[in-house]
Amino acid sequence: MSSQLGKVVSLILIDRFGPVVERVGTSLYQFGSSPLLHIKKRTDLPISKIKESLTILIKYQLATFAVNQNENIANYSIDTDKVLLMLRYPKYINIIKKKFGDSSEMIVEECLQRSYITASEVILKVHERLTKNEESIPLSQLKNEFISLVNAKYLIRLPVNEAVDKPVPKLVEQEIHTLPPVDVILLQKFKAGEAVLLPDKDIYWHVNFDRFHQDMRDKIIISAFTKKFDENAGELVKILLQQMYIRTDPWADVTNPIPILEIKDLARKQKNLGQLNAFFDQYVNVIEQDHSNLIRKSGEASGGSFQIYLKDAYKQFAWELIEQCVMEKFDSKAARIFRLVKLKQYIEPNMIQKLVMIPAKEAKRLTYQLYEENFLHIQELRKQAVGGGGPSKLYTLFHIKLELVARMILELCYKTLFNIMTRRNHDKSTNKRIIDKKQRVDTITLGMRSQGAEEEQLAEIEEMITPPEKEIIARIEKNMKKLNSIELEIDDTIFLLQMYLMYN
Amino acid sequence: MSEDSSSSELSEIEIKLLDLAKSNPDGISNDDIKKQIPDVPLTEITAIINKFLRNGTFDLFKTKDNLLYKYKDPSNKSTVKGADSEEKVVYKIIEEAGNKGIWIRDIRFSSNLNMTQLNKVLKSLETKKLVKVVKSVSASKKKVYMLYDLEPDSSVTGGAWYQDQDFESEFVDVLNQQCHRYLVEKLEEAMKKPGGPLLARNRSYATANDVHKFISELGISKVSLTVDDIESILYTVVLDDKAERIKAANGSNLYKATNRFLPSSGIVKITCGICPIANRCANTGSINPKACSYLSEWLNQ
Repeated sequence: MSSQLGKVVSLILIDRFGPVVERVGTSLYQFGSSPLLHIKKRTDLPISKIKESLTILIKYQLATFAVNQNENIANYSIDTDKVLLMLRYPKYINIIKKKFGDSSEMIVEECLQRSYITASEVILKVHERLTKNEESIPLSQLKNEFISLVNAKYLIRLPVNEAVDKPVPKLVEQEIHTLPPVDVILLQKFKAGEAVLLPDKDIYWHVNFDRFHQDMRDKIIISAFTKKFDENAGELVKILLQQMYIRTDPWADVTNPIPILEIKDLARKQKNLGQLNAFFDQYVNVIEQDHSNLIRKSGEASGGSFQIYLKDAYKQFAWELIEQCVMEKFDSKAARIFRLVKLKQYIEPNMIQKLVMIPAKEAKRLTYQLYEENFLHIQELRKQAVGGGGPSKLYTLFHIKLELVARMILELCYKTLFNIMTRRNHDKSTNKRIIDKKQRVDTITLGMRSQGAEEEQLAEIEEMITPPEKEIIARIEKNMKKLNSIELEIDDTIFLLQMYLMYN
Repeated sequence: MSEDSSSSELSEIEIKLLDLAKSNPDGISNDDIKKQIPDVPLTEITAIINKFLRNGTFDLFKTKDNLLYKYKDPSNKSTVKGADSEEKVVYKIIEEAGNKGIWIRDIRFSSNLNMTQLNKVLKSLETKKLVKVVKSVSASKKKVYMLYDLEPDSSVTGGAWYQDQDFESEFVDVLNQQCHRYLVEKLEEAMKKPGGPLLARNRSYATANDVHKFISELGISKVSLTVDDIESILYTVVLDDKAERIKAANGSNLYKATNRFLPSSGIVKITCGICPIANRCANTGSINPKACSYLSEWLNQ
């Protein structure tokens, strides 16, 4: 909860839902959980608008409500994590596309856009979209795809209101993974325009972000091992992680032991892993003996079983990430000092100067610069002189509080997000005239082309945009692209840090 | 045979006189000399004796109106020669400090002399070339005293990395790069050879001796480096997270180039992540994202 995060949240809300919702959201963020009338007092908006905004926020699960002490009133609060997740939607869609294909992607896309939706509705909608694209996939196949998404827990059921008689509804989760009763024949009839009652009328589904985060977490681990060792080691870890889910709670710190023979069998079944199968035992050895110690042998039974230390893995990643920050922000020498302090845990300034092989003065400067920027912390030890009369001796020890530094970097990420968005909005608004013009020209050309206009006419209209304008447009497009892609990458960093903080 | 002749080329008479003095550890008198070396004029003998006295080969004693010359071993000649008791005490303290040297404050504490007196004593010892002052690298203003003919310890001079109290950081940087290069080449070589990953890993380990040999053959170093020097350079490579260090079975260290887990992350790709004034950046004010020149530069790259 920081002012920086609040600014990002308000920018996201303004971007997606407009200024009114943003005002309500920001007020909820600033003052915390509050009832309707308080929001009205603070925002000075008409009550109908506030109600509308709250409905939108609750619909997209960005706000939650709970019963006030007075049971007739609800307290509303905003869920900032969910708001931030809106930036991650493209990633979720991409994950599904890679794993299940295009039509599943559309299902998830619809779910994300509508926030919650019934199975029948989404199947019909996707079918409609596919027919528009001149692809025909039978409804039954779409139904199967939807079911497999539910089975894989990417979609879960929305909690339902149980206490009907109370003024403030209470949502209860029930059987979130039960399959929807979708009847393809009824769907076809419904599509044909017949008045049929769909069996899953009140069963709504929404996206299970948690499941996506597991995928993202695994992907980071796999790519890390691929980078550190090679592809084969990455594949090995991938199979290990797959097998993890059978035995372990997905968010456990350490997985339960996984017998290596099982992994071996699975690896053998995959054809493209010749190299891995040939040297399977060696790969296991190399990974196990690496001093990062993320995969450890837990027992000798059935050819040895192994555990993945997920918590440690993310701790390691967080260290590396912060080391990167130090390295880029200061220089490689500062990173060297930082790592030395990390290795020694507590260290005196004299030792630092001796071990890092940097001129004493320079080492001192860098150390205190790191301290100034809160990357290093100081622990002072006072030793009373014998006899009490003499001056007491003071030892200064440097150390690192990783969690503090991680939170600081996270804060910096929020700030960066805010800067990116502000910059993008600013660039858009300063060049609004040219962007609008370009859009107008584009629509005109599109319209004329569909009417079958001559090439010459089209070229004439194209020329309405002067060369310098074209240059500006090209530059803006380039900038937007760059800002958008860095926004996604910053989100990756945020995800990594959040994972670390969660495990911690 | 003049006084000018250097002590290394001793004349015949001088050798004779020395032998005479050596054979009589109790000292020789003028009469003894006259008896043993009768054919040399007295003036010449006097000149030689004066010279020996000056450079500390002889000691002069007086017993019952009789002057005695005593031979003194040149290896510990210095304590003598007109030294008063204070000088002797100070000299002894400095001698005990060995080639690490001793700080003037510590001399003062152990000798119980006051500052002015101690300064005088030290100055006189210095002019006699018995002790010398060496500047320590650990603190530029700190001077330590040690015996004149001692070679200062590496903790005082800083070893191979220092030249005239200046740390040669470029030299260390070059060595750091070369050590890393060597390890990387070794790793690549090991990867190319057939065999499994375990074999490749074991092949890619290098000892400090291997690296030392490689660096010596490169000939980039003017001074001769020891294996220990290379160890400390290799440790900086480890600290740069470019290599790992493990203990071999025989207790020595093995080094191997490694890769990192993460590719460079989003936060360091954009200027905000490394911005020195990020703390002062806000939506309003002169430092803001709309007009940020760092951001513009980054966008125009």
